[in-house]
Amino acid sequence: MTASATVTIAGFDNPVAIGSPVYNEVQTFLFKEAALLDQIRLNDWVGLLAEDILYTAPLRQTRPTHEFDKTIVRTMFHFEEDIGSLKLRVARLMNTRSAYAEDPPSRCRRLITNLLVSGTANPDEFEVSSYILMTRSRYDADQFDLMSAERRDLVRRVDGSFKLARREIILDQSALGMPNLGVFL
Amino acid sequence: MSSFERRLSDGTRIEDLIDVDTREVRVRTLADAELHQIEMERIFGKVWQLLGHESEIPNPNDFMIRALGEDSVLVARDRDGEIHVTLNVCPHRAMRVCRSDAGNAPTHRCPYHGWAFRPDGAFIGSPVGGETMHGKLLDKKQLSLKKARVTLYGGLIFATWNIDGPSLDEFLGEMKWYFDMLFDRTDKGLEALGPPQRFVLRANWKSASEQSASDGFHAYTLHEWLGQLAGFGSGDLTSSMLGVEVTSKLGHSLRCMPMAQKFERGAALKDTSLSLAERLEILAPPGIIPSMAPELERHLSTEQIEQLLLQPPQVGNIFPNLIIEHVYVPQPGGKPLGLFAVHTYMPRGVDKMEFVNWLLAEKDTPQEMKDAMRKMGVRMLGTSGMIEQDDSDPWLDQAVLAKGAQARNITLKYQAIHNPERPSWWVGPAEVYEGFTKDDTQWNWWLQWRDLMLNAG
Repeated sequence: MTASATVTIAGFDNPVAIGSPVYNEVQTFLFKEAALLDQIRLNDWVGLLAEDILYTAPLRQTRPTHEFDKTIVRTMFHFEEDIGSLKLRVARLMNTRSAYAEDPPSRCRRLITNLLVSGTANPDEFEVSSYILMTRSRYDADQFDLMSAERRDLVRRVDGSFKLARREIILDQSALGMPNLGVFL
Repeated sequence: MSSFERRLSDGTRIEDLIDVDTREVRVRTLADAELHQIEMERIFGKVWQLLGHESEIPNPNDFMIRALGEDSVLVARDRDGEIHVTLNVCPHRAMRVCRSDAGNAPTHRCPYHGWAFRPDGAFIGSPVGGETMHGKLLDKKQLSLKKARVTLYGGLIFATWNIDGPSLDEFLGEMKWYFDMLFDRTDKGLEALGPPQRFVLRANWKSASEQSASDGFHAYTLHEWLGQLAGFGSGDLTSSMLGVEVTSKLGHSLRCMPMAQKFERGAALKDTSLSLAERLEILAPPGIIPSMAPELERHLSTEQIEQLLLQPPQVGNIFPNLIIEHVYVPQPGGKPLGLFAVHTYMPRGVDKMEFVNWLLAEKDTPQEMKDAMRKMGVRMLGTSGMIEQDDSDPWLDQAVLAKGAQARNITLKYQAIHNPERPSWWVGPAEVYEGFTKDDTQWNWWLQWRDLMLNAG
């Protein structure tokens, strides 16, 4: 075995081969999810979420290399959501006329790449790591707001399709360069 | 001469930016780079600023890096437990001495040439002792990190560069009577529920800060959804406009709304035949549980406790750039969930600011309640907060619009004026106004801004 083949990513001990049918299904799910968010079809997006979803974005801090594990701070969050709060966020955006920070909405592209999929003890659940680069344009600003992150998801097969059961968003900035997270990642 | 005659380069006098008689402020004030430099000296060089909470650095040699105005500072606890704030800039060649956001270290060594400092900023020495690479022209004491003056208040770490200026108590003035109800009310005091959220907005720090000086009126429109979806005011935010506003010429303020008006169960609080613990069972301030009743009685006067129960401060500010949120969020069960936060708006140039958001609870708040307060805080305030993302939307617009050749010369208006008559039933100090929210608190903020900007001393 070559050295590169033995390198594992934490939590990805049971890799699903890139290009395999399961991998393609998961990828299709995430691409469709991104399209729903980009098109602001948020009520449809909520339909992709499991009732027990945990949706979090921990803080990041600058630390020296030998303390790299401490760069993710899980005592405070930019998002700490469950299905109820995510539905409230969507209802605010879609059903009121006063969600001013995103109305008029920004135009976003969620570019999803570097997908790694791993099986879990539950044959219907898969751990998924993906990278997201979100470009965000509001009004006529000549510069984009950018947000890059890794997303660590748990997707669950339900009735022939997937539901998002967990998402942890590992942001890359310690002080975010965006005026708000009024959009989902 | 108390008034400073400095003119901006186009000939405008600073005092002409504010019309005291008509209560107007020129819009250019929100986007003027020249004015910004003066603010950094006359305001941020003078005032007390919040940097964090001591619970963020609980152990000897713990440290964290924060911004004090536009300067990076090291906030560190020494081995005896005392907290120091020093400029995080090496006195040798202006390199950043400490480059980790937080950690624990008995010494801080500048990576550039190795000058080393203790947590209190004291210069230890430069490498290769025999060479004395820091020279002999200056005494070692003169090579220490520049020290700010520090005062802890309810564990909140305040610092200022104004070494001989007013104490924090003097700076807070009469309003401290109210702030004590929030920050200094239990035996073990407050704690930060985690490090602060931080994010940067393309906005001037004053846009955020003057809104935070108890602009009650904006909520009616900008937060309309709270009435529609979140159970605030039973669908109509008019009731949230009514209350008492307290403020002083030092630029601080608080909005105090009656609990009986906001919550059905609030009426029962008036029953003084009940014990304090029983009344806290009905409706308690954020993070407070009934068993803390004796602690409240130890720390606060009867008058303060009555106000804290019946008509507590809910939002307000400490001049210049600190907002306080002590909010009761309606819950389906009837008992509101408390939410307690402070933010600072640190300037990063005239057209950028950093929003720093700490969520707080009492140290002795039960963990389950802390978790609920943290979640609610994250959902309503700060980065993704459903309330505060709308608050910041106008600041972004103002930063762009205030540059327009026409817009810069129109004015912000603070002409909604309270009846000056002080409500006779109110016992607390400072300026007190009752009724539908008005502009007096924000106007006091601008008057204090004006005073500092005109005062060269």
